[in-house]
Amino acid sequence: MTLDQGIAGHTYIVETLNLAPRIEKRLQALGMIVSTPVDVLNNKNGGTMIIKVRNTRLAIGRGISSRIVVRS
Amino acid sequence: MLGLGKKERGKHIPQGMEHTGAEPTEGMTVAFIGNPNCGKTTLFNAYTGANLKVANWPGVTVEKVEGAIDSHGVHIHLVDLPGTYSLTSYTMEEQVSRNFILSDDVDVIIDVVDASALERNLYLTLQLLELGRPVVVALNMMDIVEKRGMEIDLHRLPEMLGVPVIPVSALKRRGLSVLLHAAIHHKDHVHPDRLIHNHSDETHHKHNHHQDFAMVYSDGLEDKIDQLQNMLKSAYPDLFNYRWHALKLLEQDPEITKKFPLEGIERVVDRSYETDIINQKYSFIEEIIQEVVVNQAKRAAATDYADHILTNRWLSIPIFLFVMGVVFFLTFFIGDMLRDYFESAIDILSVYATDGLLSLGADEMLISLVCDGIIAGVGGILTFLPNICILFVTLAVLEDSGYMSRVAFIMNDIMNHLGLSGRAFIPMILGFGCSVPAIMASRALENKTDRYRTMLVTPFMSCSARLPIYILFSGMFFPEHAMVVAYSMYLIGIVVALICLLLLNLFHRQQADNALLIELPEYKRPSSRTVMISVKEKVKDYLSRAGTIIFAASILMWFILNFGPSGYGDMAHSFGAILGRGLVPFFAPIGLGYWQISLALLAGISAKEVVVSSFAVLFDGVNINSTTALATLAASMGQMGFTELNAYCMMLFSLLYIPCAATIATIHAESHSWKWTALSVVFQIAVAWVLTFIVYQTGSRLF
Repeated sequence: MTLDQGIAGHTYIVETLNLAPRIEKRLQALGMIVSTPVDVLNNKNGGTMIIKVRNTRLAIGRGISSRIVVRS
Repeated sequence: MLGLGKKERGKHIPQGMEHTGAEPTEGMTVAFIGNPNCGKTTLFNAYTGANLKVANWPGVTVEKVEGAIDSHGVHIHLVDLPGTYSLTSYTMEEQVSRNFILSDDVDVIIDVVDASALERNLYLTLQLLELGRPVVVALNMMDIVEKRGMEIDLHRLPEMLGVPVIPVSALKRRGLSVLLHAAIHHKDHVHPDRLIHNHSDETHHKHNHHQDFAMVYSDGLEDKIDQLQNMLKSAYPDLFNYRWHALKLLEQDPEITKKFPLEGIERVVDRSYETDIINQKYSFIEEIIQEVVVNQAKRAAATDYADHILTNRWLSIPIFLFVMGVVFFLTFFIGDMLRDYFESAIDILSVYATDGLLSLGADEMLISLVCDGIIAGVGGILTFLPNICILFVTLAVLEDSGYMSRVAFIMNDIMNHLGLSGRAFIPMILGFGCSVPAIMASRALENKTDRYRTMLVTPFMSCSARLPIYILFSGMFFPEHAMVVAYSMYLIGIVVALICLLLLNLFHRQQADNALLIELPEYKRPSSRTVMISVKEKVKDYLSRAGTIIFAASILMWFILNFGPSGYGDMAHSFGAILGRGLVPFFAPIGLGYWQISLALLAGISAKEVVVSSFAVLFDGVNINSTTALATLAASMGQMGFTELNAYCMMLFSLLYIPCAATIATIHAESHSWKWTALSVVFQIAVAWVLTFIVYQTGSRLF
């Protein structure tokens, strides 16, 4: 599944990132790398969501959340 | 304790060259770096106070903040580097930071680390250690860590990193002296202090790097680093820090790869090893966290709970509107209460000036220039200072509390429909304060089209300079509903900006990639110091504008209104009146066809407050601060046929037409294009005219 399908209150594990290199490297710098757990805190219908990675809250748009493959 | 520098000290850059009372023995430069929202600016401000020098780094639009302090007998030049998560060359900020650290201009780096997000912050720390400069870690926000029941082993952490770690509280100003002391003593420590790691897996690499570097990579990567280092050493014998350059080559960093071409590099760097390097850094960070942090599982319940409500799907937008409503209520209500005091002071000043000049035997013309021109114009503007102060305080509080970045999330879906990211909404909100910093804030948007569109509509957000216009006209013509009328201007500004974006998106469709990415910091109690410093800067700016542009404009207005082809006197036949009459045909269809109004609006291009100050000069030094004088003025304007509708049109046009000269200059500086600047000026005048036309024509038929 992709992260945008995540449900608020659940935790997922990152499998792959399929993003533009700039954004991908930025997320990796924030610690979002393979097998990092990601908590979904809020998910609006549009795929705009708030996640928590390594104790940092991030707001991400659908363009990012729909391209992060995760498993529960 | 720290001997905070004298006022001028922060402005001087030459290190150690300044003659101060204590005569410091030596000088050094300390650079502050850290993740965004780690409290770096608060810490920096704790040392320098408001004595900052803000400029741009040479050649780029990245802000450079500098200050200075004398401590422990050393004159220390402080440089605040941009907040950043990493040191790649993907962004200007990161390039500027790392090039500065690599240069000889810096002696020690203070890495400000948010202890409550240690894991993510250490990533930057590990990169800094690799740059090969003396590093001291300032562990900030320890109080939050303690409050959550977590503990950080302050003995183990320095052992694992090989550099001093000093716990500080920027907010409570604790540990400040100790931190500087550590920085001074660590000045020449390029090599790590004693490193003690408990790595379980034995390395088979030929060097035991664990003695030399905190961050050691897998044997495969270390082999490649060795190979690249050897290649670099023969090709670039004078290079500083081969290991860092080798790592950057492995990452295929564009800047370094281009700067240091190596023959046969493809044999070693067969692909980008950036992801491997990031992953291995984070593995080491996980190892550190495991050894150093106790009770990690505690949650930050307060922020989660607040976000549950403030970013709630249904409540978030009403709450946001309510918050902005409170901001404006405070601005108008509390500000007006304070304004009374300012008004009395200006009145007294005017009376004293007249008396004083009379007693000196000054002639009528000079008295008129001073009282009707300068005091009426500049003084009239100064009385709005309380309103503007409160507006800036509330905006700074919203920013410092962490709410502002939530707004990007809240508005993201709406902004996506308009072809922009939610992040573009932040410059727009800052536009309520002043368009100049707001337009600069649009730098945070990566997409160029996004930036240009944001710059185009940001001036529609009603800035504080327009506030005096609303206060004056709504107070004069809508005394009962002044606050509602003024608030309506702010709403109209937002709506017009959004509609313009919508239309732009219809004509030139841009596929929103919806790549919002913004950190939401923990909510915190805003630091009064940070807020005060930010407000002080802006108030200073406002006052200097009153002293320069508005002062000059007031004199100029007085001059062109009191002199005409026939000489001094008779305002109705002055140069100003002639100029104003020439503009009347343009303004008549929108209900502003009076030469006085036309002239005031023209003058308002220099700065929007000038609309009000010219108004004071125009109506013969009418005291725009006295309620009775204003009622009389409103009545006499009513006789000219200038009614409530005209007044509303006046406010509406003032809201939307060309931003001030300073904004135009900023648009040019940011876009580097006169064509674009001219286009946006014409666009704004057109929007203002068309909308006011619609309102006036509809209104005059209805009423």
